[in-house]
Amino acid sequence: MKLDPAIRDQVLGTVPSLRAFAISLCGNIDRADDLVQETLLRALAHIDSFQPGTNMPAWLFTILRNLFRSEYRKRRREVEDADGRYAETLKSHPEQTGRVEFNEFRAALAKLPSDQCEALILVGASGFSYEDAAAICGCAVGTIKSRVNRARTRLADLLAIDNVDDFGPDRATRAVLASGGRN
Amino acid sequence: MKTSKTVNLQPPASNEAKAEDRDAMGRTQRKSEVRLGREVQARIGQQLRALYDEVVSQGVPPHIADLVRKLSDQDDGVA
Repeated sequence: MKLDPAIRDQVLGTVPSLRAFAISLCGNIDRADDLVQETLLRALAHIDSFQPGTNMPAWLFTILRNLFRSEYRKRRREVEDADGRYAETLKSHPEQTGRVEFNEFRAALAKLPSDQCEALILVGASGFSYEDAAAICGCAVGTIKSRVNRARTRLADLLAIDNVDDFGPDRATRAVLASGGRN
Repeated sequence: MKTSKTVNLQPPASNEAKAEDRDAMGRTQRKSEVRLGREVQARIGQQLRALYDEVVSQGVPPHIADLVRKLSDQDDGVA
């Protein structure tokens, strides 16, 4: 039996954000793409357990997240990719976010405990409701809210954002100068 | 898991923020702390989405699109 093209298109339509979530979790683009591929293999092998009309992104994110926690998490926090391919693939991040600031942010994100990181990404970037995020992570809504709060507080600490000037162009300029003026 | 158990884990920041908002006497310093807190949060959200959306905007990599098409065209379902 061939897969319903409508279902297939829903799967394909979720792939971009699924990748973004995977990269946030893995901190490494190659591993993230492996994770996405394995997620899709599993999802399509068990497509019968997906109920048409329900939330396809939430279903795929749940599979990916479980796979990550069972098999990928151990390998996660090696930040060997600090200036590597991940950064290279992100060629055109917005101008207002300077490269140095961007890398600092990514490094800070990688230091968060993975349960806080995933909660923050799901709610703050993927756009899931607290309820969907809780379902994806298999925990209570209050737990998600608490993790998101702690993640934001920790990020602000790590980035030492205690003054609004830290975010202005001056900081980006200073950072570039400090790094030897290269772009 | 009970939700009630997690309530105490909430940091008290939001309550403090409200108290500071109402504190007209200590206004200059405290008001600005509250405002900065919000700007910091907004800025973190903005960076987070910039990072995420950059990957989203790359779309579906060809090898993944091929994989999905191949799997969904298999006669006998998958695996």
